[in-house]
Amino acid sequence: MNRRLEETPETLAEQAADWIVRLSADEPGERRAAESGFAAWKQADPRHAAAAARLEALLGRLDHIRDNGSQAPARQALRAARLRRTPRRIGAALALGAALLLPAWLALHSTPAPVLLADLRTGSGEWAERTLADGSRLSLNGNSAVDLEFDAKTRTIALLRGEILVDVAPDRDRPFVVSTAHGSIRALGTRFLVSREADATVLSMIESRVEVSIDGQPRPLVVGAGQRLRFTSGDAGELATVDGELLETAWQRHQLVVRNEPLGNVLDQLARHRPGLLRYDAAALAGLHVSAVLPLDDTDRALQLLINNFPGLRIRTLTPYLVVVDHPKTR
Amino acid sequence: MSAAASPDPLHQLYASHHGWLHGWLRRKLGCPEHAADVAQDTFLRLIGSRDALLALCEPRAWLTTTANRLIIDRARRHAVEQAWLNELAALADPLAGFASPEEQLLAAEALAQIAAALEAVPAKAGEAFLLHYLDGLTHAEIGERLGVGPRMVRKYLVQCLVACAPAEPT
Repeated sequence: MNRRLEETPETLAEQAADWIVRLSADEPGERRAAESGFAAWKQADPRHAAAAARLEALLGRLDHIRDNGSQAPARQALRAARLRRTPRRIGAALALGAALLLPAWLALHSTPAPVLLADLRTGSGEWAERTLADGSRLSLNGNSAVDLEFDAKTRTIALLRGEILVDVAPDRDRPFVVSTAHGSIRALGTRFLVSREADATVLSMIESRVEVSIDGQPRPLVVGAGQRLRFTSGDAGELATVDGELLETAWQRHQLVVRNEPLGNVLDQLARHRPGLLRYDAAALAGLHVSAVLPLDDTDRALQLLINNFPGLRIRTLTPYLVVVDHPKTR
Repeated sequence: MSAAASPDPLHQLYASHHGWLHGWLRRKLGCPEHAADVAQDTFLRLIGSRDALLALCEPRAWLTTTANRLIIDRARRHAVEQAWLNELAALADPLAGFASPEEQLLAAEALAQIAAALEAVPAKAGEAFLLHYLDGLTHAEIGERLGVGPRMVRKYLVQCLVACAPAEPT
């Protein structure tokens, strides 16, 4: 407790910082002088060396970020943290409140602006159901967002992210349209699921028929009950068969039903129900297909169930926010 | 940790307050696992802490203050980690340049540490720090950009580095 003044951790850090700043001074002469001076200072005392090492390790990681050209993501990440300042100033109670809201808050700050401003939005693992003004029912799967544009002439739902199930109330005068970045789906009265993936929209019909207008395609396409269409801008994929009733039951039970789908796609879908990131080694998973019914309310279990079917794969939980699926031999 | 004899005050503190702290955190956080982690970290923080004496005089006040601070730190760390990983994931080839996800996490950890430091310094100092160590600008270029002299740039950088130095050696 009776340390001399110059040996408190604070002044040690200050001295180390001072040397480190001189190391990258603009004048070459000063940099050279700092190098030898810093080395001598570190040698003088193991506590000096330790204080220097901690800062150097930190700056080394920043160098690494710069070498990878990842400055922009880094700044974005720092900005996400900076938004915490206000609650902190107001007081500990509020700051704690903010911490409790963290899951919602995380979703907020890792989300593009249109999704933030969406009329209806759910977080990971959160489901919502809403009766719309016209009597149509809209359910949102986890991590989904929609904008509603209802007026005298149209009823439009813009699916910004995720997956929705719509049960359309008939209205001859106002068509019901679900639009995505890849095209639009127009219905009179019907029930269907629309899911937005990164580069495609997947429509699964439960009841009746809809007309799909795909961006860049001259003629609309009709999709009927029990059919599934996966389309991207300018490209309609093949129609596939689905069991509409099973899909709807699964939706109600918060289950994911997949039939002979690429494992990577299934992991993408599970990822939507988890906070944080689910990464996988696409090369290791290539060619693997899976059929399964998976619990979406317990994605850890779902993941385990999936991976149990593929003994060669492993799951690594690096933090609660980063889970990696890969093939031990391919790394 | 030394295998302390039974009258070890830390042991006693742990025995008489850990259950209470865990309960308090569980009510605050509504998540038993998260509460258990924070409670554990709070006691770890006590070991080697310079205000251990204070903790012994006013154990519950010290524990709740420390736990609150840890909750904020964790929230910040998770926010930074999440934002960083999301940003990388949005890039065409997220793993390019980073040999492994572990390496990405080390970078995220460094960013979280820096984020905490930047909260403690003036905005201009933080900007100087990022311009120099992240973007690679020279002291002179930063001075020009921020409209301050070279001495001030240097002062900013030292100030940030000091704030980055962890208070307790880990």
